[in-house]
Amino acid sequence: MSKFEQVPVPKAESVAIQVSAPNQVKLSGTITQKDPSADLAGFFKALHTAALADGLSEVRADVSGLTFVNSSAIRLFVDWATWVKNERGPRYTLRFITSRSITWQKTSFMALMSLAKDVLAIEQAS
Amino acid sequence: MESTEKNPVVSRHPAPYPLVFMRFRPAWAYIDGIREFGRFFCQTTFGTQELADRACVVIQETLENAVKYSSNSADSELELSIESDGLSIEFSVSSLPEARHLASLRQELNGLQTLDPEQAYLAAFVRASNEPDASARLGLARIRYEGGVELSMKEESGGRIRITATGKL
Repeated sequence: MSKFEQVPVPKAESVAIQVSAPNQVKLSGTITQKDPSADLAGFFKALHTAALADGLSEVRADVSGLTFVNSSAIRLFVDWATWVKNERGPRYTLRFITSRSITWQKTSFMALMSLAKDVLAIEQAS
Repeated sequence: MESTEKNPVVSRHPAPYPLVFMRFRPAWAYIDGIREFGRFFCQTTFGTQELADRACVVIQETLENAVKYSSNSADSELELSIESDGLSIEFSVSSLPEARHLASLRQELNGLQTLDPEQAYLAAFVRASNEPDASARLGLARIRYEGGVELSMKEESGGRIRITATGKL
């Protein structure tokens, strides 16, 4: 069993999280708590570390079901992209699966892409 | 104007258009409910999903800031109003912040005005990426860009401030 799929999933308020082999994490719901990093920063970091340990070439983060998030949650995606961008050894592509009908995803992932386009990919959910 | 002409709520209530005014204690627990009411109000009144989505961002982020920085005094209630003249929409949040937060808020707003909304949002992402241990500080830039509004701050009597977000319908 890969390290990626063994990453413990936190019980986070109002958001459902699924990790599936070999490289996918899916989040749905909303993230609007005061400090979402308390639930999710360590989880994203653990996924990042596991992806490197597994030698994954890509991680698929499906956020198409995240209907609304606050800016503190957007910050968590900035941090994740920054970890990958700053990785000196072999690294993976962080591919976000987004929904074109959800406004925050259009604006924020466009901005994120400009920050780290060499390690990010954005894909529209089918 | 097209959307308001099509909408029975607005056509029955000519300008000044339907007004929301809410006053409540600065509690985080209220924000989700008020944001979703704002979505419902804008969708129902003006008939556009796009405006409803913009309203959600403006309400969420302005109320988060107001709650985070509110003083603990008895008169620290927040006030939210939504007004429209049929061409533009204005969201306004009045709060009583702790004095030590005022200077940084002024500085943040002034800094934003030097860039167009998209550039300011991108710059906020770069800053967040470069300062991983600092607070996010994406909210105000997000309001302008995703909310499609301009922001202003007015200092009122008794230490209260009013953040106003104004944009096209």
